[in-house]
Amino acid sequence: MSRAFGFALVLAVSLFSAIGPVVIPADPAAQDLSAYLSPPSAAHPLGTDHLGRDLLARLAHAGRLSLGLAVLSVACAVLPGVALGLAAAWRGGLTDRVLATAADMTMALPGLLIVLLVAGLAPGRIWPLWLGLSAALWVEYFRLTRATARVLLAAPEVEASRLLGFGPLYILRRHVVPALAPPLATLAAFGVGGAVMAIGALGFVGIGLRPPMAEWGLMLTELLPHYHEAPWALAWPALMVFATVFGLQLIASESAQGAGESPR
Amino acid sequence: MTRGLAVVDLVVRARDGTRPVDGVSFRLAPGVPLTLLGETGSGKTLIAGAIMGTLSADLVATGSIRLDGRELLAAGGADRRGLWGRRLALLPQEPWLALDPTMRARGQVWEVFRHVRRLGVAEAEARTAASLAAVGLAAAARAFPFQLSGGMAQRLAFAATAAGEAPLLIADEPTKGLDSTLRDGIAALLRRHADSGGMLLAITHDVTLARALGGRAVILRQGRVVEAGQAEHVLTAPAHPYARQLLAAEPSAWPEARHPPLGRTVVAARSIAKRYGARPLFSGLSFALAAGETVAVTGPSGAGKTTLGNILVGLVRPDLGTVIREAGGARTRYQKLWQDPPAAFARHVPLGRLMDDLLRLHGIPRARLEALLARLRLEPALLGRAADAISGGELQRFALARALLLEPLFLFADEATSRLDPITQQETLALLAETAAERGLALLIVTHDAVIAAKMARRRIVVEGGEARVAV
Repeated sequence: MSRAFGFALVLAVSLFSAIGPVVIPADPAAQDLSAYLSPPSAAHPLGTDHLGRDLLARLAHAGRLSLGLAVLSVACAVLPGVALGLAAAWRGGLTDRVLATAADMTMALPGLLIVLLVAGLAPGRIWPLWLGLSAALWVEYFRLTRATARVLLAAPEVEASRLLGFGPLYILRRHVVPALAPPLATLAAFGVGGAVMAIGALGFVGIGLRPPMAEWGLMLTELLPHYHEAPWALAWPALMVFATVFGLQLIASESAQGAGESPR
Repeated sequence: MTRGLAVVDLVVRARDGTRPVDGVSFRLAPGVPLTLLGETGSGKTLIAGAIMGTLSADLVATGSIRLDGRELLAAGGADRRGLWGRRLALLPQEPWLALDPTMRARGQVWEVFRHVRRLGVAEAEARTAASLAAVGLAAAARAFPFQLSGGMAQRLAFAATAAGEAPLLIADEPTKGLDSTLRDGIAALLRRHADSGGMLLAITHDVTLARALGGRAVILRQGRVVEAGQAEHVLTAPAHPYARQLLAAEPSAWPEARHPPLGRTVVAARSIAKRYGARPLFSGLSFALAAGETVAVTGPSGAGKTTLGNILVGLVRPDLGTVIREAGGARTRYQKLWQDPPAAFARHVPLGRLMDDLLRLHGIPRARLEALLARLRLEPALLGRAADAISGGELQRFALARALLLEPLFLFADEATSRLDPITQQETLALLAETAAERGLALLIVTHDAVIAAKMARRRIVVEGGEARVAV
């Protein structure tokens, strides 16, 4: 039930972010200083910001950027994480030790610090943010994959398939992937939620993306000085971040419970 | 007040209306052991749960359970927990899992004297020393559980359970997974409890244990008592057909396996050695298996029986020595059956799809699978189910069918029936021996049951204490 609600929230935010920029006629960067901080009206359904820019359009464009970047960063963390985790579990020995040490070293640095280091290379650009997030996030997927695969590869079911003559690809497809997919999906859902928060937080402290680019965290920063004049303007981006993260959390925690129900 | 346990018309109801225990009555007097005998699903563990008060929330017990005149079913949860360890105690299954791995042997018994019996520190220490000496563990008082052998761990678990001096001792499957030496040890300890005037309720599917305990025996099937009486009578000349079937499934009652003429050698070990960490399992072991031959591997838990079989099928390399397989014999013609059938199949996938994968990989005609299923008395409809949705006996026959599809020369059965009920165990092993004889394949069986080893095999390999030898 709450899972369906989570899906509905995430779907609503995704659709708004994907279709919004196309169908909303207003330009997110067009300033109209005469309509400064205007309340919701027919022309501006969500009102305008301190530079008179249409908030609805900015919110949709920002969503495309925030969500897209979060999904891209997590995808780029899952792929190497899973591949390296499988390599460590499969090869064992030196490969495993080298990869596990690299993972431990990454974990020893606070995640935001890694993003800051990479983002510092080219401030205000999108790619360092994406690269930095992926570099901080891959470890979780590596550890999950390594732990799951290591137990499974030594289990009777895999022993049986090996004795019956099946190769590594079959073992991956029939044994490893079905066991790995549910916890990986859960972790990735949490991961996207976390990345949306991180992008917002980085934008808010001015290290992530820069104005006039529309991004939820950045919108919060820009609107914060005008809190007393137009509190509703600040509510929109906050609501978007909340809906996205809360929806993803609902999806992830429900599927984690589902995975816990089956003992094997 | 009458001393003893009286169970009258006990019914355990599940939420869906079924009755896994359906009107069971028996009396247990001090000094006379009572054994509840039955297969998995006969309701015997639920009866123990109803007596202890540990049934899960979706089960409801009705009827009457009186311990020394006091009605237990009417008592509340806290009252019943207050009886645990003091009036009634449960001896844990698989003692090495029940002991605290971080506590020395002495402490595990001492805490019962100190905190359950509430004795003074000095007295608890004295009683602990006496109790450990009584089970022959005086020298191991300072040892941690991982430093104890299986038999010692079992005696320690018994000492800790008995320290509460509860008059009623319930032993649920006390011999599960134990070899015959350990089984005799636990039977002697349980008998001693009854002989000293305690009440003993043993719950088992092990007929040998029931016989060793004596006293009274109750045979259960599908939640009902099918036969009850003096153990020596019930266990030698039962009246009910199911009871007769259960006794006939006891390994000692099996017919001798017929041994077909031996063929060429299919696998040979040349002075192989293997260590587990720093501990040697065996070294300098040489033997050969011929087509049509059955060899049993016996020895205590953890001695290296499975490792030896895994070396022969090629899952594990020996540290020293070589394994010679028949020239031209493909690696897939050396197959294995596992102890826990569901663990040996990919999860959540219908068995039919797994079989199709195998047929496709090796280009095996489908007719061969159909013939095998018929031979192993498996309904083709079962192919539509996943491994965890069919019974253990059926699944182990599927595992056998899967191995036989590859026309093996050698089959390694690793405790392949030890998790099955006695009747299913006998059926499965008989079928395994028959098909092995028909096809002339060499069979290596690992078992902790010396009687099964003697019935099935002419030769034995004993793995024990860091060495292995071939015995006839």
